[in-house]
This record gives sequence, C-alpha cells and structure tokens, in this order.
Amino acid sequence: MAANIDLSVDFCGLRFKNPFLLSSSPVSNSAEMVERAFQAGWSGVVFKTLNSDRLPITHPSPRMHYVNYGGRPAMAYQNVEQISDRPLRHNLLEFLYLKKHFPDRPIVASIMGFFEDEWVYLAKACEDNGVDMLELNFSCPHMCIEGSGHKVGQAFHLLERFTAAVKRAVSIPVMAKMTPNITDMTEPALYAKKGGADAISAINTVRGISEIGREDWVPKPNVFGTGAISGTSGPAVKPIGLNFIASMARCRELALPLSGMGGIETWVDALEYLLVGATTLQVTSGIMHYGYRIVEDLVEGLSDYMALKGIGRVSKLIGRSLPHLQETDHFDLARQGIVQYDLDRCIGCGQCHIVCSDAAGQAVEWDAKRRRPRLIEDKCLSCMLCQAVCPVPGLITYKEMPSVWRRRETAVRDEGLENELKHEPFTKEGPHECVV
Amino acid sequence: MRKGLDLPQAIAEADRCLLCHDAPCSKGCPADTRPAEFIRKLRFRNITGAIRTIKENNILGGACGELCPTYRLCEKACSARFASQSRPEGADRPIPIGKIQRFLVEHSWQIGFRPLQKGAALSEAVAVVGSGPAGLSCAAELAKSGYPVTVFESRPEPGGVLRYGVVSYRFSLEFLRNEIRDVADLGVEFKCNHPIEGPAGAEALLKNGFRAVFLAPGTWAADTLAPRTQPIKGVFSSIDYLAALRDGRFREMADRIAGKTVAVIGGGSVAMDCVESAVRLGAGDVYLIYRRSYVQMPAEPDERIEAQQAGVHFLLLNQPVDYVIGRGRRLKGLKLVRTRLGAPDASGRRSPKPIRGSEWVLDCDVVIEAIGNRPVSDSPSWYPRVKLAGNHLIQVNPRTGRTSVRGIFAGGDIVRGPALVVQAVADGKTAARAIRRYLQG
Repeated sequence: MAANIDLSVDFCGLRFKNPFLLSSSPVSNSAEMVERAFQAGWSGVVFKTLNSDRLPITHPSPRMHYVNYGGRPAMAYQNVEQISDRPLRHNLLEFLYLKKHFPDRPIVASIMGFFEDEWVYLAKACEDNGVDMLELNFSCPHMCIEGSGHKVGQAFHLLERFTAAVKRAVSIPVMAKMTPNITDMTEPALYAKKGGADAISAINTVRGISEIGREDWVPKPNVFGTGAISGTSGPAVKPIGLNFIASMARCRELALPLSGMGGIETWVDALEYLLVGATTLQVTSGIMHYGYRIVEDLVEGLSDYMALKGIGRVSKLIGRSLPHLQETDHFDLARQGIVQYDLDRCIGCGQCHIVCSDAAGQAVEWDAKRRRPRLIEDKCLSCMLCQAVCPVPGLITYKEMPSVWRRRETAVRDEGLENELKHEPFTKEGPHECVV
Repeated sequence: MRKGLDLPQAIAEADRCLLCHDAPCSKGCPADTRPAEFIRKLRFRNITGAIRTIKENNILGGACGELCPTYRLCEKACSARFASQSRPEGADRPIPIGKIQRFLVEHSWQIGFRPLQKGAALSEAVAVVGSGPAGLSCAAELAKSGYPVTVFESRPEPGGVLRYGVVSYRFSLEFLRNEIRDVADLGVEFKCNHPIEGPAGAEALLKNGFRAVFLAPGTWAADTLAPRTQPIKGVFSSIDYLAALRDGRFREMADRIAGKTVAVIGGGSVAMDCVESAVRLGAGDVYLIYRRSYVQMPAEPDERIEAQQAGVHFLLLNQPVDYVIGRGRRLKGLKLVRTRLGAPDASGRRSPKPIRGSEWVLDCDVVIEAIGNRPVSDSPSWYPRVKLAGNHLIQVNPRTGRTSVRGIFAGGDIVRGPALVVQAVADGKTAARAIRRYLQG
C-alpha cells in the first residue's frame, strides 16, 4: 500500500481508519463475523438491524436469489431477508464484545421500531452497551405494516417524528437510512434533518423482481409457491445509488454527511461514491459474493490511485465530481464530434456495422472483402454504441469536429410522397417551460 | 467418448461469441450448419431454436461437432480468437463451435426435443445405397420433403464409417444410435444386411419401384503394402482392424494386441486411431511408421499430439519395404528403409527418398496398414453404365451430385475418396436437393 496516504475519514465526529464499513445485512449478523471483517480491514460496521423481541422474526426460506448476466453470476441479488432474528440481549452482548476487542472500530447499530417508545427503547439499549452511532432503518423494503421500514421512508412526517424521538433519547450521532423506492430522496432526507439526524445513508435495496420461474411462473426466491417484490442489490443498482447520493450532496439545504452504498465491489466503485459526495461507504452484496477479503483491494486500490494522483487524504476526493454534474440543459450543444476507428487493430467482427445500421446513423458501411468497417463521417451521430460493442478496447474513440463541421440530415425515404403530406407548421409563441 | 460440454459451459462459451456480422464461422462449414446462427440463438437462450438450426442443416450435427477438425473449418476464422489478443478472457481461444454443436444435439436427446418433421407424404420412392454420413444426410433431407426413402446397408447396422470405422473412445455407439434415430424418426426405412450386389444391382433399383438412386457406398477396400495372394497372420488393414473393434470380434482382436509389439503404417487420421487404440488395448510397444516427417503427416495436429502422449513411438523417415514372415505365415517383423526428404512431390509435401543400404528390420507381432482406402473392386459392376473418374471413384457434377446416368446420383467417399464426415453430409444434402428438383421435373 502506498505510504503517506491517509484513508481515514471523520464522520459525525467518529474516526474511521478507512471509509469502508459493513452495511446492515447478513454480513454483519454476529460478532464472530464482524470480528473477522475487522481483521480483514473493514473500518467499522453497521450491525444487522435490531428488533425489540416484541414480534418474532422468522426469515423466509429460501431467502435470496440473483440475476445473472451472460456467463457472469449475480449482477444483482434479490433478498427477502428480515431484520435480525436474534434476541436483543444477544445482539447487545455482541456489541460489548466488539467494543472490548476492537475499541478503535466504530459500531453503528441499525434499529427499527414500530412506534416512538420502541425506537427510543432500542436506541437507549444500544447507547448503554457501547454503540458509537445509530442508523435508523427507514428503508427495509420487506415491511408490510404501515409505519415501518420503507413505509416510514415514504411517510415523511413519521420519519421526522421517529428521528426526533431517538435524538431526544440519546447523545450519540444518529444517521437515517433512506429507501430508493421514491422519486426524490432529498425530500425525506430534509425531514430527517428536521428531526435532528446527523447524517443520511443510502441506498437501501431497490424493490424489484429478479427472475420468474419458467416452469411454475413463481417469482424468485420461490418461498413454497410464493414470490414477493423485494430488495434488489449489487452492481446493477450502482447507477441508482450514485444518483441519490449525488442528488443529496448537491442539496445545499440538506448539507449533512452522507454514507453511500449500492453496488460497491471495487475501489473504482468506491471512488465514484466519494466523488459524488459520500464520506463513508457501506458494502454488502460485494461481500456476499466475494467475502470480506475484498476490503484489501478497496484499500490498496484506492490508496495507490490517490498516490498516483498526488492526493494525500481521502477527504479531498469527497464531492469532487459535483461541480461537473449538471442538468442536461447545461450542455454546450455547439460542440459536436464523431467517432474515429483505429483500423490497424480491428479484428473484423462487424458489430459496429450492425449497431450503427439498426440503432444509429447508418454511418458504418461494411467492406465484406476486407472484413472492415468504413465510417461515413458526416452521418456519425457520436452515439458511441459502436464503442460499447467493439471487442477491442480503445479501437474506437471520440473526436471533436471543427465548429464548421455539419452532420448530414437523416434522409427521407421517399420525397415523392410530398404531395400526399398533410402538415401545417406550429406557429404559436410560448414559454420554454411546461404550462398547464 | 470424451465428456462434452454441459449447459452452463455451452452458454458461457456462447456468451464469449462476438456475434459477427457476415460471420466467418458460417462460411467455414462445408455442410452449411450455420454456427453463427445457432450460437446466436444459444446466446439469446433460444436453445430449442439453436438445436433446430443445427438439425435442419446438418442431420449429423452431433457427429460433426465431435469429429470435425473444427480448428481448420468453422473455428479457423473465429473473430474471438483475435479479440482475445486485446481482451484477457479466453486468451487466443476461438469459440469451441464443435463442442457447442455437439452439446446442443445431445441436449435435444436429453430433453426429448425433436425439431424436424416429416414432409407431407409424396409418392416417388428413392433408394439410398449405403448408410454412412452421405447416405444418412441425403435420406434425411429427402424424408423431410416427404419422399419415401429406403436405405440399403450391407452390414448388420447402419452408420457406415461412423459405425465401423471410428473407435469407440472417439465416438460411442450410443451417440451414433441417437443420431441415426433422428433420421429414422423422419420415416426413413433402413434395410441392413442388404448388400447391393450382382451385375447392375444398383441400376436395377430404378426398375424396381425407385425413381431415383443415391450411391454412397463409401470406400471399404484397403491399399496394401504389396499385393498379396495369401494372408499373413498378424497383418491387418486398418479397415478390418477398426471394424473388428466395433463388431463382435472385439475380444478376439484385443487378445491379438495385448502385450504385443504393434506397428501401424501410415500418417493420417486413421493411423492415429489405430495406434492409440492399440495402446488402449494393452499393446507392449506401438510404433507409427511414416515415410516422411512429422509436419508432412496428414493427421490433424491434436491427433498427433494425443498419439504421442499415449506413448506411441513415432518412427519417422522410415519406409516399409516388405514383411518378414516366419513359420505358418506368421508375421515376424517389418523390413524398413530409412529415407531423407527430397523436393516436394505432387501433393506439395517433400517426398521421401530411400537411403540405399539403410534397410533394417523392426521385430513386431502385428502390423496394421493404414495407407489408404478405396472402393471395393467389384463396386463398378453394380452400376456399369455410371461413368467413373479413375481409381473406381464415381464422376459427378459437384453442384448436383448427378452421375452420367439419369436418376442416379452419388456422393461421399465413393466420389471424393476418403474425406471428412462433414463433406459427406454436404454431398448428401446437395444430391438430395438435386433429386428433389429431378423428381419435380
């Protein structure tokens, strides 16, 4: 690992030796597991969500499924897990153990209640047993009772009330975990802030259906003939997670530290979450797939990257993409370009020709004799689809064209139909916004 | 028979495919089995459709998948091979098209999927002489169109070279039976133990209710080291030896080989099958005698390597001259002369020149001659009016398989001389289409 690189972050007054935490999930179910994770290098844990023993928790069986893509397994996971099924006493004993043996690793306890007194009871129990911070689970996608899990995350006044109740009861920092099953996350996040939340974490799993049995038509996981819309996680949800973290990070009114998660497997994923404004990063699916050991590559990869970039502290990366992130109306449309092909490296598969013909500008002709594409520059839309499918990395690149360059208009199939055309130009003046 | 791919493996390989435009693999298949199409179908999980593509275009798709030298046919120009130079997955490895093809055909048997249907019944009957790859291919193609087809086979079971000329560890009888069942399911009738013999026997079929005849009897006579009037105990032709391993004589042949010194003459694929099977039968030492050198061998590179790895001694640059015969005409040894390579001959390969005075004798108990196959000597008498090309091979129009006699078509080894299974399949298809046009007038 590169020397002189400081991966530590300050998050709500707590020091984490690196930004990488276990998130509240099967990977943080017991002290035995968390201990091994700490030994592997994870800086802290958000422990699996506690319950007050009031309602018995039984996990459905089977609990999980997955979405494969091509030959690669699990681009997404699907789970119908519940919160911790362990007695509260056992979970509290686990906290005592971890604090005793790993005093420098912050323990964040995830809790979920159904009414104020229950939230408060759980929060105090955690604080009394050495927990450093709380995460309020407003986002579990498997709750059916109104006022619980993601239903809280979608009912903003409840979210504010429960946050406020917890804040009144404890002095340790409190983080609210958001559901992505909502249009605009800044809104509930602001309610959490009003309730006194010190930080926001996101995203919990995205409600989805991973696969449906072709023989029995039951969505998976197939729990004895029944499936459910449930939580999707893993690499497939990373774009969704980045969206919500970036949106909250851009919200001036919110201005709370963020803990980002959703599809983090590699240091590159981690870097992206940092760049859009996350301070700590949480991981589950990556561990479910590859084990705790991946933290070694998260830490080493990120610190070597920082060393090569000449960035000494990870906090210098946080939010650095935000100035470059705008709505689409900010684009400079006067500047245009096309693709260029390095044909010396072409292997002649012709996929560029297929995608350009069927999904773009018909700008790539096919030289069947030489088995090579031939670009008609003024028809190229610069959509970059050919680059996406090209099996040779770097063969197809983007190049900006001079300002005088013009793209050819898409040809009309039959100009001869002009005399059959019924068309009057739209002439009314109006504002450049939607008016009802 | 070696283990084939399973479904997850086949899908993983299909997922590597670049799905080329104007795909070079499909252009490389002599029988037009359309690999680009069936791999694309597999890639998009249209597994039944993939099976249909194979079986519609190549009724022996399973056999070809296993037996084809794919590296110089469909896989030769596979773009994935070149793609891997810039991408790490599957370094320099083409898509294993043959393996995928074999898997899909086996999968059809496993799931009971029958992609082909008999055509609406027509009346004009067609006779097919020989049930090897060319005959099976022609019969299936015609049966799909609805023609009643009868296949005449002189041996007890159908399959020709696939039944009696391939070793079991390469191609199992069970696999063959499954593939032949696909042909029989189309309504093709097999008459085994039914040789075409006697003067003009094949031409007579045209007078006995058949409107067209496809001749595909193969080449079942062996070239020999020297003309022999009397047999030598311990000397076999590759044809006889390989057939023995596939019919009732297996035990008898195994006993003759076990613990003995065996020499196989020849450098082609058949010779490789002979040496490797002799090792498997427990021969003491197995020699491969070849008069040129390693690179001139006609056998496929992987076959040569396999034979060497099996422990076969390659005795190159040695030309057999004669046999050393002991009491009771029992073989004692093989007289050889060393050679050196001279200028290329008509085949384009450097020719062997005997080194004078270098004769020596290799002591051996068994010699298998794998020098070449040709038509059995009396076969032209079954079709006296059909024009021959020389070497008793039949002359046809390569685009149609038509012979010089109206209504008689031919294909496979009897036209080409020894060739690939996939080429025989192609001949069968070509002839079937021409027969269909001929019958439709």
